[in-house]
Amino acid sequence: MTGQTIVLAADVPFPPTVEDFFLPSIVPWGGDNVWLTKITLLVWLSVAILIVFFLWAYRNPQMVPTRRQWLAESIYGFVRNNIAVDMIGREGVRFAPYLATLFTFIFVMNLWSIIPFAQISPMSHIAFPIVLALISWVLFIYLGFRKHGIGYLKHALVPPAPWFILPILVPIEFFSNFIVRPFSLAVRLFANMFAGHMLLLVFTLGGFAMINSNVLLAPISVLSWAMTIALTFLDLAVIALQAYVFTVLTASYIQGSLAEEAH
Amino acid sequence: MAGQQPPQNPRKDDAAPPPDSGTGMVAISYLIGGMLVWGGIGWLVDHWLGTKGIAMGIGAVVGGAAGVFLIVRRLGA
Repeated sequence: MTGQTIVLAADVPFPPTVEDFFLPSIVPWGGDNVWLTKITLLVWLSVAILIVFFLWAYRNPQMVPTRRQWLAESIYGFVRNNIAVDMIGREGVRFAPYLATLFTFIFVMNLWSIIPFAQISPMSHIAFPIVLALISWVLFIYLGFRKHGIGYLKHALVPPAPWFILPILVPIEFFSNFIVRPFSLAVRLFANMFAGHMLLLVFTLGGFAMINSNVLLAPISVLSWAMTIALTFLDLAVIALQAYVFTVLTASYIQGSLAEEAH
Repeated sequence: MAGQQPPQNPRKDDAAPPPDSGTGMVAISYLIGGMLVWGGIGWLVDHWLGTKGIAMGIGAVVGGAAGVFLIVRRLGA
């Protein structure tokens, strides 16, 4: 049994570990240097693709949109009308650029996890979701203080309740508004992308591990690879959903900071 | 584009408004947050008094109740 495991480990690394997410440098002289890995390359590519796409789509805007202009306008219009305005109200229009950037950036970054040869999303490293969550966190706190002044603390922390239970409620409000919010934004996105990549690794490598250990297991290996294809489509749904959820929650926090009275 | 106002009337090709997932997350975070905050404070009290978990238990129950109260008040049951 032990001997067999060692032989297997020589063929394909199974089970996949967290180490599989830390990729080597892609420049041959890089060694253990982590400043230019596939992850970094994909981040730069995402930024470049978004900038080039939106500039190119809007280079020569027509009254009757061309196809690429239609695509860019549809994406922006969706975020503006169906997220920003629906959740924040009419003044939500001024947050539409930020929300649209957030949505498209997260979507493209997530999409790498199912694109052939890339096949890992930078979002499966928690550093990237943390930075995005911190930006949204600073934004809604800043907006709250600008709208309500120092009264924002009362607005955010003091619920409508009799005074004698406030000492119990205020710490909970503080915890859930200022600590859980950025934490859950970051962890939700990270965990979904991490788990998606891990699932694909398990089913792909598991197929090889089974077929290597016993030829009779070959049909199950094929089943495992078929599952990989099915899970890739599931991942596509998760990718779009997580980009959407991150944007909607950011919009809802902004709305909470701008609301007139505590509710 | 940011300055342009959104269409006044709903159009047929508008997507559905976003589901109110924010409200659900708020409810969950109040409930779990309440139990964590007051359970944690109870845990500290346990350490301070040398008791074995009784304050943490009381804290978690009180925190859970306070979380439910907050959900009712903030979200309107």
